[in-house]
Amino acid sequence: MSLAAYTEGFEQFAAGLPAGQRSARREHYERFLKAGFPTPKIEEWHYTDLAPLGERRFSPAAEGGAVPTAALLAGADRLVYVNGKLDQAHSTAAARHGENPLLTDGDSVTALNAAFATGGLSLRLSRNERLPRPLQVLTVGVAGNAPAMVHQRHRIELGENAEATVLFQFLGQGAERLTSHVVEVELAPGARLTLYRVQDEHADATLLTRIDATLRRDSRLETVAVDCGAGLVRHDFNVALAEPGAEVALAGLYQPAPGGHVDNQTRIVHAAPHCRSREQFKGIIDAKAKAIFVGKVIVQPGAQKTDSEQRVANLLLSRKAEVNAKPELEIYADDVKCAHGATVGQLDDKALEYLRSRGIAADAARALLLRAFGAEVLDQLAIPALRDRLAVRMGLAVEDIFEETVGETAE
Amino acid sequence: MLEVKGLHARVEGKDILKGLDLTVRAGEVHAIMGPNGSGKSTTAHVLAGREGYEVTAGSVLFDGKNLLELEPEKRACEGIFLGFQYPVEIPGVSNLTLLKAALNARRKYRGQPEIEATDFLAWVRDRAKLVKIDPKMLSRGVNEGFSGGEKKRNEILQMLILEPRLMILDETDSGLDIDALKIVADGINALRSPERATILVTHYQRLLDYVQPDYVHVLAGGRMVRSGGPELARELEEKGYGWLEAA
Repeated sequence: MSLAAYTEGFEQFAAGLPAGQRSARREHYERFLKAGFPTPKIEEWHYTDLAPLGERRFSPAAEGGAVPTAALLAGADRLVYVNGKLDQAHSTAAARHGENPLLTDGDSVTALNAAFATGGLSLRLSRNERLPRPLQVLTVGVAGNAPAMVHQRHRIELGENAEATVLFQFLGQGAERLTSHVVEVELAPGARLTLYRVQDEHADATLLTRIDATLRRDSRLETVAVDCGAGLVRHDFNVALAEPGAEVALAGLYQPAPGGHVDNQTRIVHAAPHCRSREQFKGIIDAKAKAIFVGKVIVQPGAQKTDSEQRVANLLLSRKAEVNAKPELEIYADDVKCAHGATVGQLDDKALEYLRSRGIAADAARALLLRAFGAEVLDQLAIPALRDRLAVRMGLAVEDIFEETVGETAE
Repeated sequence: MLEVKGLHARVEGKDILKGLDLTVRAGEVHAIMGPNGSGKSTTAHVLAGREGYEVTAGSVLFDGKNLLELEPEKRACEGIFLGFQYPVEIPGVSNLTLLKAALNARRKYRGQPEIEATDFLAWVRDRAKLVKIDPKMLSRGVNEGFSGGEKKRNEILQMLILEPRLMILDETDSGLDIDALKIVADGINALRSPERATILVTHYQRLLDYVQPDYVHVLAGGRMVRSGGPELARELEEKGYGWLEAA
């Protein structure tokens, strides 16, 4: 692996940094350089090989471009990034933008992110503070002269009993692009964070994200992640339930693009007693696409009364689709409740036939069943305008499908 | 209305129907009876267009149209309704969603506008009373958690809402207690009209006490071996099918 293009890019990037920052950044970069992009030889990357990225050339200094204004949510405050740069004109919450500390240390992807990271959301709420509206962090990738490389760091720190809803949204236009996002989350006792992540990037885009969250006493983190679009996607969720009463609920719906690859890796550490974790992931996999879910739950010694449940269901719509779902439980306490289950199936032929016998066209009947499958996760996204748009985008919007296909039936 | 001539059909490579003839005119109720494996259910399924049934010979005309070349959903839109012997459970798709989709599919097929949401709900509530189904149950998944009797009543409810012209009921009476049987029969009778016709596929005389057929047919070995009036059903009840098969 040459990585020469990255080194070139780094020197260029480092030259533009204040002198005091360069050495720290260089350390991160050296660490990335030493390890290289992860390959399947590393256990956590068994199903996703990033080595081919090493041979590609991405420019860390990409140009800006237009913001798709249709994606701006009414009733939300906004931070808009175009190729990683804050777009002041469309950001109503620009004060929430900031440079964040590069705390998270992890695999080489995180090191790469740390080396190149630009600022992002920097949300700090004090005790009892509540965000009145959801905060939309819209990341737009636009095609420029050269393939862009965008690395961002976000940080969310909620004080005691503070509450916020944050939406990370990824959109992109056609072009090869490498985007990495690291989100650090600290929830003080009693804090509640709802985190949505919606990805509808271009099929040529590669997206690598990582959320590292630490939950204190009685705090709660709820995430809903929806993936379609991007060709190569990897999400890491690392959640530490550090004090009693902390609660996390991760939900995900993924529908990889044709030929696409979506890899979700969750790692929940029950480090204290009386914590609760819930995971519900659903995949709709068609046409040569590949989906991976590896869910690790670690119950540390002393974390008694742990209550953990993991559910994964995948729908394979094509013979060439592939799915790997793997629960990994490590339990070092004896008074715990840990459930897990993974299913892989096809659309129910009998149900399809039944619907058709009632006059519903085959396409609409399929959509009804897909919608029923996806709704369990999609309906948890409590921003109706976005949820409905996604349903249409993913072919799960029942009403619209009736318009089209039943219309055809009426000759 | 329905003209079936010399129908041959096979299921999983096995010949089941071997030259079935049946003529149903508007306003009539026909009962098809017969021993197990005689092809009763196959007849119902072939008419509704279910997959896995291969028609090898014969013709089926519905109002002069060749029914066999229509997809099942188009047959439904043409006015054919199949009441299933084993109604399917569909979690996540509510009864109301199914009903609205089915009703609107039909309306579009006929070039009518979609039904207004308020009219739809009023219509469903009105019909649900006839089969004693609590409308609240209709926001649940299709047949999800319904008892056997509730599933059959739900079939009848769908039929009452969709108002088909040809109702084909495949052993709808099986597994019903007497109260449920009466409700099902009331639903069928409520739809009886000079414009509509009904085919009751049944194993027993019981349902025919509540829904008076105009014609009774006995199917054996994939053909109609005997046709007659309601008295034939009573004769079968007394003597069984043995005397016919021997004949």
